Amino acid sequence: MFRFNPYSPEIDADPFPAYATLRAEYPCFWSEDAEMWVLSRHKDIVMALNDWETFSSAKGNLVNELPGRAGSTLGTTDPPRHDRLRALIQKAVTKRALAHLMAPAQSVAQKHLEALKGRDQFDFVAEFSSKYTVDLIVYLFDLPPADLEIVRDKAVMMVQTDPVTRQKGPEHLAAYEWMREYAANLVQERKKNPGEDLLSQFILSEIDGDKLKDEEILLTVTTLIMAGIESLSGFMTMLIKNITDHPEVREALVANPELIPDAIEESLRFNTSAQRFRRCVMKETTLHGQTMKPGDFVILAYGSGNRDEEVFPNADVYDLSRKPKGHLGFGGGVHACLGTAIARLACKVAVEELLKAFPNLSKVDQELRWMPSTNFRSPLELQVKA
Amino acid sequence: MPTVNYVSFDGQSTQLELAEGMTIMQGAVMNGVEGIEGECSGSCACATCHCYVDDAWLAKLPEMSENEDEMLDDTASERKPNSRLSCQIKASAELDGIVIHMPEEQE
Repeated sequence: MFRFNPYSPEIDADPFPAYATLRAEYPCFWSEDAEMWVLSRHKDIVMALNDWETFSSAKGNLVNELPGRAGSTLGTTDPPRHDRLRALIQKAVTKRALAHLMAPAQSVAQKHLEALKGRDQFDFVAEFSSKYTVDLIVYLFDLPPADLEIVRDKAVMMVQTDPVTRQKGPEHLAAYEWMREYAANLVQERKKNPGEDLLSQFILSEIDGDKLKDEEILLTVTTLIMAGIESLSGFMTMLIKNITDHPEVREALVANPELIPDAIEESLRFNTSAQRFRRCVMKETTLHGQTMKPGDFVILAYGSGNRDEEVFPNADVYDLSRKPKGHLGFGGGVHACLGTAIARLACKVAVEELLKAFPNLSKVDQELRWMPSTNFRSPLELQVKA
Repeated sequence: MPTVNYVSFDGQSTQLELAEGMTIMQGAVMNGVEGIEGECSGSCACATCHCYVDDAWLAKLPEMSENEDEMLDDTASERKPNSRLSCQIKASAELDGIVIHMPEEQE
């Protein structure tokens, strides 16, 4: 009997064989382990993402939602309010608006690579991607410079799930509470002394003359810090994993750095860190002979849609020349990732600088330890040879 | 399902059937039609899904919001009387067969 258990360490390590079975045999699957439906075909996921009236985010978008988040963040609010909230932040993070991030990103990357000079081997996660992404978010949000390692540790912890109890454990909830508190202090401080930074702009915003709700501000700020730190470094780690797993790709990028954006897009398709998000069924919906009832939750398996042969021929092959369009690496529909321009820019600069400093970067044979998470997938450590 | 005809800047035409309610922008992005970016995912906060709507359909379109009007002042290619943001137009029976012309650039 086929099962799909998003809590299992095997799925953290390699969900793709299970995804293939889901797409082929159970395209609308009731997972008893998750107590949710699972949609795995590209077409079905796109349909759900574009029909928020049937597949709502307002009951939460994380497979294991954190307390109080549903309805109080961008990702957990439906249109039309969502669109108004999102527009407030979005304008500051379009490609055009982010040109100012290029030079700081380069100098931050160079600083952390300089510290690795002369090393034969290092952990890309602890010694580069974590430090680099934290520094970028500090710059973007103008965060106080104290205790940044703790902020990073909490961001990584709060997205995890306990594989045994199949829920958030006390350590995950404590990390979330810590981040809420950190965000609350930050919001208070910005209200008193607003600056030019992204958070100040958001905190001071109004919709139709109404101030945003305190809870909305607090949890959206919490989510932005979580995404900016954890999701960005998680994806960047997958990107470097792909580049070092495929030496011919690394050589092509060293020879022609203009191909780096293609490597980023193919990584977003091939093994994005954002593997699964959740929606709630609002109207009875029958799909592939299965009937989903109002109140049922549905997992949208982006990582599976990205391997759908109907859309991406030879989907299990990492192909630098693919230039995939319509991939789900950033999700899709109105809730598609807010930080796409930040992520693309940050990853491009990181790879450019990394391959300049270490043109022969290669993988180290190791058993990867994967983050236990029902949403995200990235290794906790990635040793690379200089 | 309503069909949408996307015409690229160099004149190539792509016809797609979109589910009712899906926006013209999402249809292009999710099906890999080049020429529409949709950087803000349809929250009307960028102008990278700018398009020129064929005159025959202009009168059938929903009225432009103040916000869309403002965003259209910031397009990469020239704003014309038939300029719209394709994230603000949903596929529908009434717009079946609509023809959308893509601008030269979006960024």
